[in-house]
Amino acid sequence: MRVLALSAPLVLACGEVRTCLLPSFQALDGRAAAQLLRLRADELVRVSERPNLYALSPDVLTGVDCRLPTSNGTKVRAVGTVAARAALTEGRVLQATAYFSAPAGGPDTRRPWGHYLVRPGLVEPFGKLPEQATAEGVLRGGGRGELDLGMISEGLLAQLLRHPLLDHKAPFKSRRTHLRWAARRAPEGEGPSLERFTLAENGLRTVSLRLPENTPAAAAAGLCEDLALHDWLLTTVVHMLDNSRLGAADGPSAVLALRPAVDHLLHLWMPRAHVDHTLGHLWDVLEREPGFTRQWQTLVQRIRDQLAVQAVPLLHKALSTR
Amino acid sequence: MLVFAASDKGGTGRSVTSANLAYHRALAGDDVCYLDFDFGSPTAAAVFDVPDARQAAEDRGLHSYLIGEAAEPARIDVWSDTEHRVLRTRPPGSGRLVLMPGDVSGGEFATTDDNLRRCVDLLLRLNSEFDLIIVDLSAGRSYAVDMVLEATSLREMSGVEARWLVFHRWTRQHVAAAASLVFGKRGIVAGGVARGHDEEALRNVIRFVRAAVPDPESALWSQVSPTQSAWMRECDRDLKQLASTQGIGYSLVLGSVPLEPVLQWREQLITDEDVLDSQIANRETWDALSELAGRLTDDKFWEQP
Amino acid sequence: MTDSVFRETTAEPRTQSVPLAHLSLELGHLYMEDFEAGPERLREHFAEVRIWVDAARASAARRIGGKRPRISTCFLIDDYFRRFSTPAELVPMVLEEAERAGLVIDYLARESGCAVADKTELAEAVMHRLVESPPPGSYGSRPPVSQTGWLANGQRTPATRTAMAETTGWQPPQETAARNHSVFMDVELWSEKDKQRLWSCPFLAAVWQLARLGLLRHLGEPVLIPRLWNGGDFPYDWDQLPPLLQLNASAAPFSAYRTCTLMANRFLPVEDAVRLILDQIDVDSGALRQVAERSAREGAAVPAAVAQRATYVFYEESAGAFSYGET
Repeated sequence: MRVLALSAPLVLACGEVRTCLLPSFQALDGRAAAQLLRLRADELVRVSERPNLYALSPDVLTGVDCRLPTSNGTKVRAVGTVAARAALTEGRVLQATAYFSAPAGGPDTRRPWGHYLVRPGLVEPFGKLPEQATAEGVLRGGGRGELDLGMISEGLLAQLLRHPLLDHKAPFKSRRTHLRWAARRAPEGEGPSLERFTLAENGLRTVSLRLPENTPAAAAAGLCEDLALHDWLLTTVVHMLDNSRLGAADGPSAVLALRPAVDHLLHLWMPRAHVDHTLGHLWDVLEREPGFTRQWQTLVQRIRDQLAVQAVPLLHKALSTR
Repeated sequence: MLVFAASDKGGTGRSVTSANLAYHRALAGDDVCYLDFDFGSPTAAAVFDVPDARQAAEDRGLHSYLIGEAAEPARIDVWSDTEHRVLRTRPPGSGRLVLMPGDVSGGEFATTDDNLRRCVDLLLRLNSEFDLIIVDLSAGRSYAVDMVLEATSLREMSGVEARWLVFHRWTRQHVAAAASLVFGKRGIVAGGVARGHDEEALRNVIRFVRAAVPDPESALWSQVSPTQSAWMRECDRDLKQLASTQGIGYSLVLGSVPLEPVLQWREQLITDEDVLDSQIANRETWDALSELAGRLTDDKFWEQP
Repeated sequence: MTDSVFRETTAEPRTQSVPLAHLSLELGHLYMEDFEAGPERLREHFAEVRIWVDAARASAARRIGGKRPRISTCFLIDDYFRRFSTPAELVPMVLEEAERAGLVIDYLARESGCAVADKTELAEAVMHRLVESPPPGSYGSRPPVSQTGWLANGQRTPATRTAMAETTGWQPPQETAARNHSVFMDVELWSEKDKQRLWSCPFLAAVWQLARLGLLRHLGEPVLIPRLWNGGDFPYDWDQLPPLLQLNASAAPFSAYRTCTLMANRFLPVEDAVRLILDQIDVDSGALRQVAERSAREGAAVPAAVAQRATYVFYEESAGAFSYGET
């Protein structure tokens, strides 16, 4: 998008997505979604209605000047701006992403701030960037004083959650997930690939990617938001089924516990709906192993079966009292 | 729902009792979070028997978070991190039990706009995740009390239900002090109203918990002389009278917790094993805690008196 | 995803372009105290400005290789901080004094138009675009400007925090881009009274610079669009006057690649603050790109940093002139 000549080719893009249920009793319609995500008064919120309702905020920037997290302890100072944006899917699932790209190297001194401002979402290292160590460092999470993408995405999410549109009466309780991603440049001539998707504890997921040089970081962010959204759906519905104690609890109470899934979540499954077309096929790996959609269909089937079973006695009763 | 645990003075068993309430609700299947806002003297790590919390509380506790030094306050999963033999096996059907420890070195601090904003962000966030959030506040009219009064007065928090429990011991001094903490000139109600709370609405979400109450009818005191027994009954009657004249009479009491050596000395969670197997704790205590835990969310006990 | 069959217009952002001159030349700001000082004050001002206008024109011509540059002139009247007189009384006087000095005012603007123009909250939109220059050690935690209302060029003297923490001695503030020694500046962007926000003079002046540089958009559309004067009388109410009025039908476009502002040297601190603000604004990327591309095509490529596109002449005011005023 930006035409300004970049000093060095970009070799790394990293980000963190936080995904949560919108804390509101009702899902927001397209207009309200646009209102919520209007982070800048003068910039349009992108709203799509096909194939599902999806709103994406403009990017906002945060200036940083700190060390980059590295897996091998290499100390690299970097200066620039981290971009952050928020997305709302079907007026129900809210996501905030913080992301940046980095060139292979940069000068050893800090330049005037204007230089960085016209390169939004770019963080320039002092000297050479240890690509692999930084990618691993971001996925592992930074130490004190190191670039903290989680803090930036959390800051944006917190800002949105204070919006007057939200009543904080969500239809059910749910946990957030954090998905950290790092994309190194793919070898010359090779297409994009998803190298690893890791499910860690406490709602943390990590994704390693390889992307060709011309893939914008925003497209990678979009793919990872899509992965995070669907992983959150799986996580949340699995938790809901666990808590409903199907089989152990009596029928009606299990139905009560599963009802919110039917009302608010089951229609949200739509992988790749808003992913850049050059990256959509990266989903294929996850569909083969472990099979995201396969698991989702099983969960949905279980919930539907349960509701059907519970409906039988009611039907019975209705017929007998006729 | 948010539940703020306050007390007029230290030594009321506020922390240990509210921790037990958190435990009972988690046993019943709720996802519960316990926040140690007792800045300066965090005790929750000991109550839940989680040594990890002490480590986390070095620099990632709630205090560090609120003053902006930690991006997120540390969370301790009590079921998996506790060293307590019984707690380590999470009962089937139980909910999550998460502790957010305070900081070992963090003292009191003034409420700035930034601290307040972080407090609101945290409470909103936990509210979307947990069924019940118990916030243990430092004793007296502390900064912690001021901060949550301020936070709950804001528009952002208007959709989040909040209730207050005020713990006091069953003595003349404590009864008077508890009444003053709530209704006094610099009390919680006055402080809340000054921050924009509706007085009646605020009064309606405050209930008292009488702690360490010796029950003259209990088996514990069956060996005392008739004179002692009569004297105990008289004192109890006088205290009830006093509580009533101080405006914290029966209708505002959510429950009482009996005088219980295990709570007093060990300051830990009472498990069913303590009651049933080792029998070091009294059945009455377990029942009282269980009842109190149920009443936290039972609207019948929160109607206008 | 431009090659797909299906498109949604609400899902695709676009930025409209605006016509651009080479130079936007500001012939002055008029404040209450200038008006109170009488027409002589204006006469004096324009007489001095006239000299520098010729220099600015010559400079602009030299930059584009001696061709004839497109230059538009403008004049700003403060109706935001203090309302005085009426357009009907004031505007003819300004025009007359300018003409006396041989100057033509192409565009006339009201300062409150920089806060809100045609129902668009320009100042607030620009506020949302502030991205603070991070002092070393910023890893993502710095509170955004919108929470403090102040913008600095470095790190402030730390405040004492915890009551129980040991007290440390005074520590100096530090300019982030300091060369050996700091020139630290902290600019108030707005104040609040009765929940009403009053934008500061430097902040509105920064909005004014962005407008003159063709870098303001609202949802992709141009804002503060000049309205052509029909030659009739000026209204008796400032609100009836368009925020930006085109007085000269044959004028070059209002916005330009560069700006030059001619003003008395008492405004220097304000304009220094304006540069500090401009240096920390994430300008609409579409607008930025359009200006960069077109200026390059015309052989007048603009500097990447927006603040670098604004130049000034600060002249000495004659003795007896009012000292610091409402700015």
